[in-house]
Parts: sequence; C-alpha cells; structure tokens
Amino acid sequence: MKFVDEFRDPRLIRAAAEEIRRLADPDRHYRIMEVCGGHTHSIYRHGIQNLLPPNIEFIHGPGCPVCVLPMGRVDDGLSLAERPGVILTAFGDMMRVPGTRGSPLEYQARGADIRMVYSPLDALKLAQENPDRQVVFFAIGFETTAPSTAVTLMRAKALGVKNFSVFCNHVLIVPAIRAILDSPDMRLDGFIGPGHVSTVIGCRPYQFVARDYGKPIVISGFEPLDILQSTIMILRQLREGRAEVENQYSRVVPWNGNPAALRAMAEVFELRPYFEWRGLGFISQSALKLSAAYAEWDAEVRFELPGVRVTDPKAAQCGEVLKGVLRPDQCKLFARDCTPEHPVGALMVSSEGACAAYYHYVHRVGAVGR
Amino acid sequence: MASRPELARYGLCTLDLDGCVTCGDVAVPVVVVEVDGLEAVCEDRLGQQARIAIDLTPEAVPGDVLLVHLGVAIARVGRATP
Repeated sequence: MKFVDEFRDPRLIRAAAEEIRRLADPDRHYRIMEVCGGHTHSIYRHGIQNLLPPNIEFIHGPGCPVCVLPMGRVDDGLSLAERPGVILTAFGDMMRVPGTRGSPLEYQARGADIRMVYSPLDALKLAQENPDRQVVFFAIGFETTAPSTAVTLMRAKALGVKNFSVFCNHVLIVPAIRAILDSPDMRLDGFIGPGHVSTVIGCRPYQFVARDYGKPIVISGFEPLDILQSTIMILRQLREGRAEVENQYSRVVPWNGNPAALRAMAEVFELRPYFEWRGLGFISQSALKLSAAYAEWDAEVRFELPGVRVTDPKAAQCGEVLKGVLRPDQCKLFARDCTPEHPVGALMVSSEGACAAYYHYVHRVGAVGR
Repeated sequence: MASRPELARYGLCTLDLDGCVTCGDVAVPVVVVEVDGLEAVCEDRLGQQARIAIDLTPEAVPGDVLLVHLGVAIARVGRATP
C-alpha cells in the first residue's frame, strides 16, 4: 500500500534493525518503556521485539486507561445505572470491564439501561432526545480523549442541556510517567513517548523526564519503522550521554500541541488532588475533574456516589505488569485463570492492555507452534 | 480500494474501524470536504464520510488533513496531496 509502505519497507526495516545492533553495547541490557497501549499493540502485532538483539527489551507501560481504572470507580459508575430514570452511556471498550458485581454488559442483561456510544457527543444527543431521563456519560481516557469530553460539555452548557452529566475518569499521562520513574523497583533506560496524546499536549510536558531524571524520551509514531527509528534515537542519546525530548513523529505532533484543545481542557477541567490508579496506587494531580464552572454537569456532584474502594484480587499481579517489573506471562494467573474471555485483571480486558496483546500475539501463536 | 491513499502515512484507522477508542493513542486521519460552522464533512482513506466536530481545529478548511478521535478533530496535520 503506497504511503504506508515507506514505514513498512523491509529494506528500511532491516537497515534500522542493523543500526540498532550497531548502536547497542553488547555488554549492557537496555530496558525501554513504551508508555502507550497503541505502541504495545504495534510492537506485538509486527513482531518488532524479534528484530532486536536480546539485550534490548521493551517494557509495556501504563498507557491503557481501562487497565488503570480501579474496580471501585467501575462500581461507582455502574451504581448510577441502577438509579431509576438514568441512562448510563459508555464506550464499547468499557462494556466488558468487570466491576465487583459484573461488567456493564452483565448489568445491561439484568435490566440496567446502559448504552454504548462512540463519542461523548452521541451521549449529549441522547440526552436531548430523552428530556425526561438523566443521561450520564462514563468518561475515560488520556489527553487524547479528554478534549472530546470538554467539547461535549461546552456544547451542553451553550445549549442549556440540563439532563446530561459526566462521570469523569480522565487521567493524565505525565504524572503516571513520573510515578513510574519514582518507583523504587523500576529501572529504565528511556521512553518511547505517546503519539496522539502529544498532538494535544505537545512535547514540552515531557522535559522533566530528561531534565530531572536524566532519561531520553522520544515521541513516536505507530508504524514499525517509527518504533525502530525511535529506538535508534534513544540508543544514540544513551551512547552520546545525552538525555533529551525528541520528536520522531513530527509529521503529526507539533512541539506545542494543540492550543485550542488545551484551552478547552483548562476551561472544563481542573486537577484532582490525587487519584487512584490500578497497580500504581494513588498519584497526586494525575486526573481531571470538572471545574466549578461545569459543576452542574458533574455526575459526582449531581448524584451521591458510594465511593467504593475495591482491592484487586491478590493473585493477580496487574501492578507489577503495569510497572514493567513482570512480563504478562510471569503473572500467576496469566492464560490460566485470566484470559480475554474471562479476564480477572483489567490488563486482559482491553485489546490494548499488555496482557491481552501478549496473549493474542505471543502466547496463542506459541501454542499453535507447539 | 482506497480513495485517499495518502492518508495512510498519518495512520491506518478509518471512520468505521479505529481500534480501542478508550486508548489515548488512536486517531483517524481524514480530509475536510466541506465546513459547516463547528462541524465539517470529512472523508477517510476509504472514502467514507462523517460529520466531525471541529471546535478544536477552527482554522480547518477543505483539503486539510485532520486527526479525529471520538468524532472530534484533535489536530490539523497538513494538506491532502492528490
């Protein structure tokens, strides 16, 4: 396929892999974290790890919003669907995420009015079409997704739609990277930074990674050659003793992000003092809530929520996998008690989750080969 | 058959197939066909059209390439080249 071939050209891929071999010190083991689930998926799908020498290891980061959402927040959201007159709306990817008493799909089967939407704007439209019902949107996602929620709330306010509200679970990638860097059991040599998140926030927010922690970070595209080029850029920095933010994905990511999106987010959201991440615990200023100007559309203000806290199943080692301390197949439950059909941990639910990707592209392929 | 193959260099997602939407790193490249206030009719690489909110890319004009996430354009990344 023309236009994508340039990023999948076998000759260029071989040359990039050769350059990586040349740059890597054979006496050193490199651990490079790809922060976002899209990169994890691409690395597995294209078998990129197999092109690299064994002393370069990709560590899969916390960049799947479904995977890092604590079960208590799922329960809180689902409690809304049990209220009379409420229509709870959520993305399709949320529908199989297990809460304590089942997933949204199971709640739906028991009679709760939960509807899948593709966009928060669809949830707003549903509210306009059902003025006698309360429509709540279960918002989830990083800085790529938060602007869509912001636009929806600005429109709801402008149109005066009062029967619409948002249960906000938007989280921020930068505090998560900081938490990983502060984690005592973590040893990383560099980061492959998120691509589309960075179209919104730009490259500046990552400067602390280089400045304060001395680690290279390269914002990367998703094609195989993008990821290999980013790996080369990280290895060059390490070899030359540099630690900088570099932008491999400049065909899409501007250095300063999207100012209009950042303005919309600043108007609609404010930082929560702290937020619990599955596997990473409480991280300060790592999530968004609705600002005072939008409190009227905040489901946590409009409805009394139970504020559930649920401890993850002890046997599941999602936290260690999320931080890259364990490979997915090193978790005791992997592919035995925890499978994509019956997930115990959230990393197995989402297709972008490290465990689901490992299951589909490594474990299952290996099983066929055996 | 791709009708706008040049969009592939910005990603392979299409309006009807864009992977896990909760993931922060999914976006569909489209070309603006027609602007109508805060919305624009946009076309993906397969020629499929949809109305997209352009509140966050207000400078968009026909022929611009936008990245769309959840029905909202989050970035303007260039111009379509025939």
